[in-house]
Amino acid sequence: MQYTLDVSTQPDSSVMAILSLVKPASQLQEEQKHVDQISLDLTGLAFDRGSLVDISGGSASGKTAIAFSLLAKLTVDGEICALVDSTNGFDPRSAVASGVVLENLLWVRCSGDVEKAFMAADHLVQAKGFGAIWLNLGGLPLNKLRMVPKTYWYRYRTRIKETPTLLFVTAEEPVTGSASQQTYTFSSPGRAKWSGSGKFKLLRSLGIEMTSRKQFYGRPLQTTIEADYTNG
Amino acid sequence: MGRLFACIISPDLKRDKASLTTVAKEFSYLIETLDDGILFDVSGLDRLIGDRDAISTKILEGLRRHNLAGKIAVAETIDSACLLARQNTVSNTVHSQETFSQLPLSDLPIERDTLNVFNDLGVRKVSDLLSIPHDDLITRYGKDFRNIIDVIEQKSSAILVPNIKENRVHWSYDLDQPVQDFEQLIFLLNHGFEKLFAATRDVGLSSEHLDITFTLKGHQPKNYEIKTSFPTLERSFWLKLVNLRISLDPPEAEIIAVKVTAHFTKPRPSQRGLYAVSRPEPESLLLTVNKLKKLVGEENVGMPVILNRRLAEPFALDSDLLPVGSENIQLEPRLPTLAFTYYRPPQHAEVVYRDGRLVFIRTRYFDGYVCEYSGVWKGSSSWWDKPWKTQEWDVEIENRGIYRLCRANREWFLLGEYD
Repeated sequence: MQYTLDVSTQPDSSVMAILSLVKPASQLQEEQKHVDQISLDLTGLAFDRGSLVDISGGSASGKTAIAFSLLAKLTVDGEICALVDSTNGFDPRSAVASGVVLENLLWVRCSGDVEKAFMAADHLVQAKGFGAIWLNLGGLPLNKLRMVPKTYWYRYRTRIKETPTLLFVTAEEPVTGSASQQTYTFSSPGRAKWSGSGKFKLLRSLGIEMTSRKQFYGRPLQTTIEADYTNG
Repeated sequence: MGRLFACIISPDLKRDKASLTTVAKEFSYLIETLDDGILFDVSGLDRLIGDRDAISTKILEGLRRHNLAGKIAVAETIDSACLLARQNTVSNTVHSQETFSQLPLSDLPIERDTLNVFNDLGVRKVSDLLSIPHDDLITRYGKDFRNIIDVIEQKSSAILVPNIKENRVHWSYDLDQPVQDFEQLIFLLNHGFEKLFAATRDVGLSSEHLDITFTLKGHQPKNYEIKTSFPTLERSFWLKLVNLRISLDPPEAEIIAVKVTAHFTKPRPSQRGLYAVSRPEPESLLLTVNKLKKLVGEENVGMPVILNRRLAEPFALDSDLLPVGSENIQLEPRLPTLAFTYYRPPQHAEVVYRDGRLVFIRTRYFDGYVCEYSGVWKGSSSWWDKPWKTQEWDVEIENRGIYRLCRANREWFLLGEYD
C-alpha cells in the first residue's frame, strides 16, 4: 500500500492552527531583541541588556538623572544593581527622590582611584546577574581617563554580552569608543527654570538634549528633568 | 546489670541547659531534655565506672567542674530516676536507690482523692503502698493503677526519647610543620570541608556559618567567624570566601593546627519563581562583595542607607548589608528627577557679590556670571554634641551648570553639582 501526500488539497483547520504557532526566525529575533530592552518611558531612551552604553556630558546635562531613572526602573522590579562611584560623589537622597530602591543597590566607593574603579567594574561584570552596573567616571581628570586602554571596554563588552546586565558608563566626554552599543552626548541647550522671585526662588526644571553619536542623522531626543522637593 | 538511667534536675534549666547537655554528653549520647532537667542513658557504665553510686558521684564531679547546681539520681527505670532526682532536697546531692522506698506518695502521679484515702489509711510512703496486695489495689482503683504499681516496683516501661540534636560538626588537623602562609593550607581545608559538608549533608542539613580557629606558634589562637546570608555546602565557594576573609586579616604567626566548625541550618529551597527577575547568585554576590572589599577597603562597599537623623549629609554606606533584591510597588512612569552629585573634597571658590546679591563665581576650573540663584538655605543641629551649621545657595552659572554653593568660616566652596 502506498501513501501519497496531496499537496494540492487545502490543509484542514487544525493543521493551519499548528502552523500558525511556528514563527519565522526573523520574527523570533525581533521579539527577543525587544524583550531584552530596558526602556525609560517619557525620555525615549531604550537600552539593550548585555550591552555597553556610554553617556557623556558636562555639569547639568542630566546624565546622573538618567542614570538614576534607569536604576529606579530596575531596582523597583527587584533587580540588583551596582554603582561604581569613582569619586565618592553619590548622593543617596537624590537617588531615593528619583525612585531608586536603595535596598537593591550595591555602592562601591573608589575615592578617585581610576584603576580601582575599573577593577571594581570588572569584578561586578564577572559576577553576572546584576540588572545594571553604573560606572560613574564623572569628576575624574580627563587626562587620566584618556590613558585607559580601549581594550578594557572591549573586555567588558565581551564579558556582559551573554548576560542580562547593562553596563552604563557616564563621564564628561565619551570614553568607550566603538566598544559601546549606544553612545549619547547630553547637553542642556537652555537655562534652567526657576520659580518664585527675589530671595524666594526655587530651581524647578531643566531641559536636556540627548544626541546619539551612533546615529549621525537622527534628531536629538529631548526631555525635561524636574526638581523634587517632596522629601525636604 | 540491665538498663541504667541518670537524671539531673536543675534549679534553672534555661540558664544551665547548654552546660548540663555538655555534662550529659560526657556520659551518654542518648539524652532527653525534660521540663526541669535532663535525662540520659548510662547503661553499661557500671563496668567502666562502678555501681550506681559511683556513677552518680562521677556525674556530680562533672557538675562541679562546670559550676552547676543540680540533684542527681541513677536508677534502673526512667520514672525512678526522675522521682528520686525531683525529691525536695538541697542541690548537688546524690539520691541513692534505697531512698526510693521512702518517697512520699504525693510525688507519684496518683489522683488527689485516692491520695486522700491513702493518707487516711496511713499509707504515705512507697514502701507502705508496696506492702498492700497489688491485685486488691487494681480491683479497687481500676486497671490504670497498674501503671502506678509498675512505677513503685521499678518496672516501668517508659522509654527515653532523645531530643538533643547535634547542631554543629567539627574537623581539626594538627600540622606536622608550622605553616606561615594560609594559602598553603587551602588544599588541606578543601579536604576538611569535604568531610564536614559530607557529615552535614548526611543529616539532611546545610550550613551558613563556619568557625575557623588557627592555633599559632607562640601566640594566642586566632578565630574567624564566617557567615553567609544563605545556607550552602558548595566547597569551592566556601574556600574562596574563607581565603578572602583571612587575607583581609591574616594570622600574625605560623599556623600549627586548624579547627573548623560547621554550624547546621536548614537547607535552602532550590526552586525559584517562574517569572523571577535576574539577580546574581547569592554565592557569586557574596564573593564579589568580598573581592571588592579587598580591593577598595571594607568600609567602601555596601548598601546606601538614609539615616533618620538631622545631619548635613544624612546618609551612610552600611558595609554589613548586602542588596536583597526586594520587589516594590511599581511606580507610574515619570520624568527624570534632578540629581545632585557631591564634590569630594568641595571646590574652593571666590565669589563676587554686590548689593547682597551673588554676581560672579570663580573656581580653579571655571568662572562665570551667576544667572539665577536661590537661598540662603540655612541648617544646623547637634549643638549639644557635635554642632554643625550650613549656609547654602543653589546657583546657576552662565553656560556652565547648576551648583550648590556653601559658605563656611568666611570662605566659599562648591559642594557639588546638579546633573
